[in-house]
Amino acid sequence: MTFYGVDEIGCPQVLASLIFIIEDATEEIERQDEIVGHITTCLQCAQELAHERFTQSFLIQSLRRSCQEKAPQGLYESIQNQLLAAFAGSGQSTEVVTTFSMTEISIEIDEFGNVEHHEVQIEQTQIQRIEFTDSSDGGQE
Amino acid sequence: MAAHFYEFWDSLEAMTSKDLVLENAADRNARFERDAIVFMDQLYAAALRYTRNPEDARDLVQDTYMKAFASFHQFEEGTNLRAWLYRVLTTTFINSYRKKQRQPLIANNEIEDWQVEKAQSHTSDQGKSAEVEALENLPDSDIKNALSELPEEFRMAVYLADVEGFSYKEIAEIVGVPAGTVMSRLHRGRKLLREKLKDYASELGYSTDKGSNSADGTSKEVSE
Repeated sequence: MTFYGVDEIGCPQVLASLIFIIEDATEEIERQDEIVGHITTCLQCAQELAHERFTQSFLIQSLRRSCQEKAPQGLYESIQNQLLAAFAGSGQSTEVVTTFSMTEISIEIDEFGNVEHHEVQIEQTQIQRIEFTDSSDGGQE
Repeated sequence: MAAHFYEFWDSLEAMTSKDLVLENAADRNARFERDAIVFMDQLYAAALRYTRNPEDARDLVQDTYMKAFASFHQFEEGTNLRAWLYRVLTTTFINSYRKKQRQPLIANNEIEDWQVEKAQSHTSDQGKSAEVEALENLPDSDIKNALSELPEEFRMAVYLADVEGFSYKEIAEIVGVPAGTVMSRLHRGRKLLREKLKDYASELGYSTDKGSNSADGTSKEVSE
């Protein structure tokens, strides 16, 4: 049994953080330096990490191997048909997208000569649909 | 005047109109077909994991494409189309199929205290090798079954991370939950999946109990 100082990182905390290390997300761990430091000196934790890494990559392989279903025959065709119908509805209009942007810059200088600089950017997007309604059926969604 | 304050205010207003982005609907349709349809098999496999039923999976993929097409003008070209499609798939599933399937949500206990869970002790060497051996010998069908038995949130997180290879940050966007929640679901989902795989393995006659942590965490292996 190991006794840890009040504020010292112990094996349980390190083990609880292994997922962050495996997920390459050490920046999310509090006290990451201490945890990483612990692993370099604690053989058991290092082995545990190695085992977790190995098992995880093994698990990934097994999962990828077994989840490789192809979409059933006919799904492509039915999506294609539905899309064609949707295209027909959308084909009669042209969309004009206009983006306006405005930048407001203000510079403030106080008596001590400190300069404060502000920039505010405002963007606006307008989407305009131009319909060409020459067909008999007004095929819109 | 107590304080001399001198203010210089300069306001510059620059009004620019970015180039008119004009995309003809026909071009956009062609772009959608060219870029999005290639992900159909992948989306179908994901839909199978989500719905656990080929009929629903088929419908879900079809709905996903229709929804994606309808909002394709919102998709920014150059960003990750695949991740965007998965987001449409996941949202569509959560909003309609899940209701239909009337699945109980497991999330009621999804508190963030998983980091302080008990049983955070070292695994013995025997436990380690037994686990690997069990995994090695399982047929694909058992792996799929074990995955399908996971609660939905865990199943989605594990699938998106481990099969599709999305990062936890991407999954957070796809599923619409904070990154910390994704991490918790991944951690617990994988743990549960491994437990289930061990169960399958022991049914096949592989012993996985020797030396591994007991479920209640009583057998601590931290020795000096």
